[in-house]
Amino acid sequence: MMRRDGLLRTTLGVTLMLVIVAPLLMLIATSVSHAWFYPRVAPASIDAVAWVELLAAGAHRDALVNSLVLGISTAVVATALALPLGRAAALGPRVARRAIALLAFAAVALPPVALGVGLQLSVLSLGLGGTLAGVLLSHLVPALGYLTLVFLGVFTRWDRRVDEAAATLGANGIARWRLVLLPLLRRPIAEALALGFLVSWAQVALTLLVGGGAVRTLPLDVLAMLQAGQDQRAAAGALALTIPALIVLGVSRSAARNTPAVVA
Amino acid sequence: MTPQLDVRALQVSFGGPPNTHLGLRDVTFSVNGGDCLAVLGSSGAGKSSLLRTLAGLQPSVAGGIFASGKNVTALPAERRDVVYLHQAPVLFPHLDVRDNVAFPLMLRGVPRIAARRRALEWLQRLQVADVARNRVDALSGGQRHRVALARALCAEPAVLLLDEPLASLDPAVRRDVRSALLDARAASGAAMVLVTHDLDDALSVATHIAAIGGGRVTAPATPQLLLATPPDAATARLLGIFSEVSGIIARGQEGAVFQWVGGTIPAGDLAAGEGVAFLRASDVHLAAADAADAAALTVIARHDSAHDMSLTLLGAIGTIAQTVTLRAMLGAHANVGDVVYATLSNARLYPTQG
Repeated sequence: MMRRDGLLRTTLGVTLMLVIVAPLLMLIATSVSHAWFYPRVAPASIDAVAWVELLAAGAHRDALVNSLVLGISTAVVATALALPLGRAAALGPRVARRAIALLAFAAVALPPVALGVGLQLSVLSLGLGGTLAGVLLSHLVPALGYLTLVFLGVFTRWDRRVDEAAATLGANGIARWRLVLLPLLRRPIAEALALGFLVSWAQVALTLLVGGGAVRTLPLDVLAMLQAGQDQRAAAGALALTIPALIVLGVSRSAARNTPAVVA
Repeated sequence: MTPQLDVRALQVSFGGPPNTHLGLRDVTFSVNGGDCLAVLGSSGAGKSSLLRTLAGLQPSVAGGIFASGKNVTALPAERRDVVYLHQAPVLFPHLDVRDNVAFPLMLRGVPRIAARRRALEWLQRLQVADVARNRVDALSGGQRHRVALARALCAEPAVLLLDEPLASLDPAVRRDVRSALLDARAASGAAMVLVTHDLDDALSVATHIAAIGGGRVTAPATPQLLLATPPDAATARLLGIFSEVSGIIARGQEGAVFQWVGGTIPAGDLAAGEGVAFLRASDVHLAAADAADAAALTVIARHDSAHDMSLTLLGAIGTIAQTVTLRAMLGAHANVGDVVYATLSNARLYPTQG
């Protein structure tokens, strides 16, 4: 049995490597390879032109700034909204729970193109088409969906006696949030901020549909390079996209460390 | 003197929406500061619902709750000056022991240093000052109870509610927590209400005891009074220390008598009808020889325990054979097969419908 488990683990590990690590290795190789076409086994030459261009001052600065502004804003706003929504869904009346959970699922489950078209029409009617604010609104929809489901899960297992104990000791609603709930929720909040950032950071369809090409972000720049056949630059851009994501994940894990879980 | 806790004609609901139903009716009692009322009842009787209603964690249907003379019935939990302790102590895991205890003071704006100093004093009174800087997840079961009590007392509440604090504890921790509760009672001027299903727990901590069951709470009485004369058969049954003997109450020329399979005893001025007698082991006197108003009974089973023995006796009323189970003191001569005569003293008699 143990041997079978070991074999399963090895198989899963290798599969994971192939699915995640292999494309990354391919990206790294492509980003420094010049004129590497089929059926060549190795590139004609190796250079760092794509990286130099990518990092050159101003080349993608606007896109980077937009991506960061959108990512951070989406993370903060979606977390601030999803936290009370998830709590209301988990601890509130059954009707509220069902309604909020349904909306959250819909925001996550709807095909991005369908969601994008609907959002485009809504954002246009608000006069925000092609603006950063409009794109932010559109990013908030899936982020809010994901994060509400995250907090729904957190509060479904939440030990309500903690709130009760604080209340009978004299803590009003604000004090309970400030002194008990938020410190205890540090871990899920950190994870939610990271997830909210990543949902926005990797967003292409909604940015394209709602931004109408007027709002540049790093993923859109990478897409444009790919469409233009600039594989080397696209690979460098794609790799650059993963760096902030890894930083955000690392920071969120670090912030979450040593935070006690409060479950019933 | 105004009682620290005064509960007037309170009605308490059970369950949450949409299955809420009226559980307790006309609950009326009061508790003075420094006193502890134990509310004794079986599972599902509404003990926790009563406490949660007093604490403001669930709404009351009708009636009034007064803490230190102030009507708190409609106030939220945080403004009642009533602290509720859950059965399993709930400590805040992100704070160390000292800051847990200082928590209610910090809420009131007491500077951190002063709050921590006061917290330490309470930890000392409850004999857990040595764990003041520990994380709460490193505490033993007994320490958790003591820390939770220290935190509750640090809030200096008018009323302290304890929800089965001794249930589900192993004997050593149980002794420790009982002792902590006595320390808390001695150290605090709060009116304490403790709910439990265990008479020993109630006797060990409470100054007064009330019984809860059938949607009602009996008037509080001192433990001695309650054990001597339970207010009704349901309460006597709930106390769990009595043998229960069924019989008939008959009116004669010299007053009522209670007829049971083992004989007759005076029944005061009870009305005629079916009745029940409750007896402690010390109220049952067995003799091998015939006694006045006693009928022969055959011992058909005997089970000894640490404190007394349980006898199953076979007798007859007229031609109808009947068995009765009585507790009697250890040492009484009653082996299986023996014929004995039982006389009863201090029987608590109630009409069956009561």
